[in-house]
Amino acid sequence: MILKANLREASRALISSRQRSILALLGIIIGIASVIALVSIGTLVQRESMRQFMEMGTDILSVQAEQGRGGGSPKGFRLQDIVIIPESLSSIATVAPYASSYGELRKDGKRMSIPGLGVTESFFHMNRLAMAEGRFISDLDGTTAHACLSSNLAEKLKAQGIATHPGSELYYDNRKITVIGTLEPAAMGGMRPYEIQEGLLMPLPAVQRMSSQSIISTFMARLSPGFTTVQGTEEIRAHFSALPDRMEVRIMSPEEMIAHMERQFRMFTLLLGAIGSISLIVGGVGVMNVMLVSVTERKREIGIRRALGARKKDIQWQFLIESVLLSLVGGLVGSLIGVATSWGIARFSGWQFEIVHGALVLGVGVSVAIGIFFGYYPARQAAALNPIQALRTD
Amino acid sequence: MSLLKLEKIKKSFTLGPVQVHVLKGVSFEVHAGEMIAIMGTSGSGKSTLMNIIGFLDQPDSGRYLLEGKETARLSDSELSSIRNQKIGFVFQQFNLLGKLTALENVCLPLVYRGIPEKEQKPMAMEILEKVGMGDRAGHRPMELSGGQQQRVAIARALVGTPSILLADEPTGALDTRVGQEIMDLFLELNSTQKITTLIITHDPRIAAQCPGTVRMQDGYVAGTEESP
Ligand SMILES: Nc1ncnc2c1ncn2[C@@H]1O[C@H](COP(=O)(O)OP(=O)(O)OP(=O)(O)O)[C@@H](O)[C@H]1O
Ligand SMILES: [Mg+2]
Repeated sequence: MILKANLREASRALISSRQRSILALLGIIIGIASVIALVSIGTLVQRESMRQFMEMGTDILSVQAEQGRGGGSPKGFRLQDIVIIPESLSSIATVAPYASSYGELRKDGKRMSIPGLGVTESFFHMNRLAMAEGRFISDLDGTTAHACLSSNLAEKLKAQGIATHPGSELYYDNRKITVIGTLEPAAMGGMRPYEIQEGLLMPLPAVQRMSSQSIISTFMARLSPGFTTVQGTEEIRAHFSALPDRMEVRIMSPEEMIAHMERQFRMFTLLLGAIGSISLIVGGVGVMNVMLVSVTERKREIGIRRALGARKKDIQWQFLIESVLLSLVGGLVGSLIGVATSWGIARFSGWQFEIVHGALVLGVGVSVAIGIFFGYYPARQAAALNPIQALRTD
Repeated sequence: MSLLKLEKIKKSFTLGPVQVHVLKGVSFEVHAGEMIAIMGTSGSGKSTLMNIIGFLDQPDSGRYLLEGKETARLSDSELSSIRNQKIGFVFQQFNLLGKLTALENVCLPLVYRGIPEKEQKPMAMEILEKVGMGDRAGHRPMELSGGQQQRVAIARALVGTPSILLADEPTGALDTRVGQEIMDLFLELNSTQKITTLIITHDPRIAAQCPGTVRMQDGYVAGTEESP
């Protein structure tokens, strides 16, 4: 019951010194928010990458042409070197080469810069795409200027009043193109090139004819059942080094992608972790300061309580509870902000958002710990006051 | 048996290089139910003596027996518990906690005694009514007059049914009429409930109403006299 009375009085004391309390809380709020954001985003990233690889399958490799030795201009793959892979390498079942380009989309006087991607028919299954409307690029399209729109691009065009149904005509890099279909939205990440979210997909030969600069820099390869990424990687590497003009390739496996994501995330962790711990220390010192001032201001109260029978322990508890309550308030506000931040980042990055309960527990735990750690000394001071001297102060 | 008995109590304070001997050997006895005024010039050590009697301070030497028991070498928590159970303090400046209501102020000694909250309220309410403050239970000290605050303070001192009430100039901050009302309350509590009371005062009219008076001088109790 002393606890209950203490809690009530602690909240009153904190409310009456609102301004000072809020200042001290700022550090805790920022600190806890960073910690919560950090932990939730870490968890979200992990779940997200799991989800992506579950969706795409973990049997896909992404193969990139290394830049020519001596720093020459990037030369890219020859299409015929890639398309023979499924037949000549037993470890690879299918391949999907693609070439990026960037161009201006024009219609009815409206212009926008849009990334384009030249793809083959196999690209559709490799990336587990689905059509919202119309059909995907076929290998029979040849160099015909057919285009498949990503769902975001279709939205954007519709918003401008530009027709996107199959058969609509647009101009891309001053060439007339015909829309043949629109993709369903596809989650970002994994091995998927980002153009399938934002850009325009066209037959690979058509893109290569439109621009001499667009080279096949990458292709995706799906392993045959029963083969490992190591086997696939070795065979592909051997295939390209056996070519007359010997090519070096860089091969990314899902394992490496995950490792890469984790590396990126580690930097992020360091940054937020640094911000978080510095703010928590600043906030903790703030809490200590609030409590020390509070002890000084309330010496007389302490004296009165001692005269009425409060033990040193009771006084110490009273002030400790107050500082824990103070930093807990900061922790709760910080948790809210942290969750909101992770929600924002998840949205921005296109990840699925969930509230990470472990992070909330951690946030509350850390703020209580800070309240105890930084409140201990002031509470000790309060308890150690000589009752008579405390009573004499005014 | 006396309620409390002091034998050759000495107390000195060190102020920088000087040692001030405030109590030089006070011997003094109080029986249950007595009401005694303590008088003496300013600085004669009245408050110092009362602090020792109330276990807020410890003597340098001498014996202090409360209800026949030696009180030297008690731990902080034992001393706190004695203050909580046996002593009721009333101060010149009332010393109510400004953020708490009258009722909550009166509850405080019960809080530190570990009495359940549900039982505190009726006990505090009863005593507030006894001192004539039942209708002001929900008020904060700021909203009360000096005399009313002192009544609440007396209620707070009495709520734990202490063995002795210690009042250090309880009427010092009040005008004569209100001071007399407070004095009447002490007299009534003493005569009807037999509450042992020590009152420090500079006012001879207050002292004259107490059955006994103790004079302090030069660090000694100069004389105990019975009022007519
Ligand atoms: N904590 C202390 N430290 C140093 N000196 C003290 C302390 N407490 C009391 N004194 C000194 O002891 C002497 C007696 O003080 P005390 O308060 O007991 O006097 P008093 O009789 O109550 O006086 P008054 O009538 O003015 O209240 C004074 O000289 C005072 O300065
Ligand atoms: Mg005094």
